[in-house]
Amino acid sequence: MAVEAKPLPRVDVTPGDVSETEEELRREHLMFDPLPRETMNRMVLESMMTVTKKYWIWFAVLGLGVLVLLLGFWGNQIFTGMGVTGKRRPNFWTMYITTFVFWIGISHAGTFVSAILRVFKAEFRRPFTRAAELMTTFGLAAGALYPLIHLGRVWVFYWMVPYPNARWLWPNFRSALVWDLLAITTYLLSSTIYLFLPLIPDLAMARDRTTGWRHTVYRILSLGWRGTEAEWYRLRKAITIFAFAIIPVMFSVHTIVSWDFAVSQVALWHSTIFGPYFIIGAILSGVSAVAIILYVLRSTMLHFDYFLRPEHFDALGKLVLVFSMAWAYFFFNDYLLTWYSGDLAERNTLLQHVIGPQSWIWWLMLITNILIPFATLWNKRIRRSPLAMALIAIGINIGMYAERFTIIPVTLGHQRIPFFWGTYVPNITDIAIVLGTFCLFIFLYLVTSRLIPLIPVWEVQEGQMAHSLKKVGSTKVPSVTELE
Amino acid sequence: MADGTVHMALFKEDQVDQAAEAITRLREMGITDNEISVISGVPLSEHILGRPVSWTAVPWIAMAGAVLGFLAAVTFLVISQIFYPIRVGMMSSVPIPTSLVVVFELTMLGMLLSTFFGVFTESITPTQGPKGYDASITDGQIGILFTSPTHLDSDVHHRLGELGAEVVHRAEVKKLWL
Repeated sequence: MAVEAKPLPRVDVTPGDVSETEEELRREHLMFDPLPRETMNRMVLESMMTVTKKYWIWFAVLGLGVLVLLLGFWGNQIFTGMGVTGKRRPNFWTMYITTFVFWIGISHAGTFVSAILRVFKAEFRRPFTRAAELMTTFGLAAGALYPLIHLGRVWVFYWMVPYPNARWLWPNFRSALVWDLLAITTYLLSSTIYLFLPLIPDLAMARDRTTGWRHTVYRILSLGWRGTEAEWYRLRKAITIFAFAIIPVMFSVHTIVSWDFAVSQVALWHSTIFGPYFIIGAILSGVSAVAIILYVLRSTMLHFDYFLRPEHFDALGKLVLVFSMAWAYFFFNDYLLTWYSGDLAERNTLLQHVIGPQSWIWWLMLITNILIPFATLWNKRIRRSPLAMALIAIGINIGMYAERFTIIPVTLGHQRIPFFWGTYVPNITDIAIVLGTFCLFIFLYLVTSRLIPLIPVWEVQEGQMAHSLKKVGSTKVPSVTELE
Repeated sequence: MADGTVHMALFKEDQVDQAAEAITRLREMGITDNEISVISGVPLSEHILGRPVSWTAVPWIAMAGAVLGFLAAVTFLVISQIFYPIRVGMMSSVPIPTSLVVVFELTMLGMLLSTFFGVFTESITPTQGPKGYDASITDGQIGILFTSPTHLDSDVHHRLGELGAEVVHRAEVKKLWL
């Protein structure tokens, strides 16, 4: 069967003639549409400085959300006791742990987009690495609250810290919960630094163009950056070390989160593929969350439509589709072998997922994580539509939350002993605290969007310098030069 | 020549070739690489500008941090067991599989924190070479700082001016940090 290859975009090579294809490339690709650095700096700073009435309304609403839903309800829980939550036998791990896993999953976005795509030199990453890295830091900040919230007696949290003490207590380093503490601490610190390092040149840019308190803050944070060869060399080395080192840390974090479940003897939790299954799910939800954030930034921030284009949503759409397929593969793998094993308790619990009273959650997960992405993301027009991508991505994140809910409270409610069965229904405290951390995440993002340049301008300019049209035979083709 | 005046030649962001040529010309006039420093708004590798490769201790500091992290993990896992023995059924006091997890996390933590420590300390440590700064650097311009004796002033300005550079006599040293 003959297959006709799609021709390369043809560009007229007549000197001085700007062809339609060149114009099209410019419209389509940020890397082929360079603006003077001065203009890009101005655009990014303007977007940082522009604060509308709508912004302040959101600021107030979200701030109130954090205050009332998170701090208020959590304070009440601390004061009254864990009985105010919907936790009852046999569901001791409920919405708090579900949301903890969800946020840790979201936090994989930054590392995946920034570190993995940086290592593989994926050029489309350039304008939104920082937006993704911020998601990692804030996702972890929101997620890291849950072990504290779930702990109940939060005031004795320091018992987890290894130091000589009169209590003769020492953390058990063979426990997956202590690994969690170490992994999340490592990931939170390293991802915050990984956010900060590439930010230094942009903070210096902001330092040179601001006055007052902003100038003071940027001056301190930019560490006296001048852009010397030695500074760039040092920064490149440090970013490379981070990019390579943070990838295994990212994998370890969600693997360890999965081991919180898998090291137990609970039916459906004791699975050898929980590690990779959780990682794929985390990357799926994280990359989808990046699409949501990019849509919001593009719609609300001044000039961001120049930096964030349909090509970026297209690229993210392809990634989401690939990870949706990978997630489906792991899900089926886990499901099939458990079903095939013939273990009565596990089969009963699986059946509970599919036809039990909360089976709609399981079906919702399949619809939003597999059916909708498979049915839509093969289509380039859908992938290139920011709104469509945002809606699909919201669906996936709902689906991923449903997956964690199914794995945790639904599974725990139907274990090996029938008289110990029960259905978990979240109450107002559970829901309020979960919503509170969503408010916290958005609030932190909202505040930061006006404090630091969300677009890594120097990385965009570096990319634009590396891209050009190269004459090959009778046509010109897009090419990328290795500048490093 | 080191006690001469510090000049800065500014090139526009699309004049990378001219900046590289300017460095060659400065060398031809007897100005050594130690008396030249390039500042830019984007990373331009040393090979592009024909400059000697810089050196940084950051990778070594990172490795030292990794070793410290590893030692901290060994301390927690092995030495602390002597003072606070915790008996877990079916496990030895220092089981290798579970210890690997802790060793990995703390080694990476040590490495990544020390990488930042390296960047921070090197950033705030005084550097060699001509000093000077111009805010147009973060607008993408390329600045070549060099120290040259007074009698070469007019020649330097003429030669770099030919390449399209805006030459600043006596580059301004600004206080950019604390």
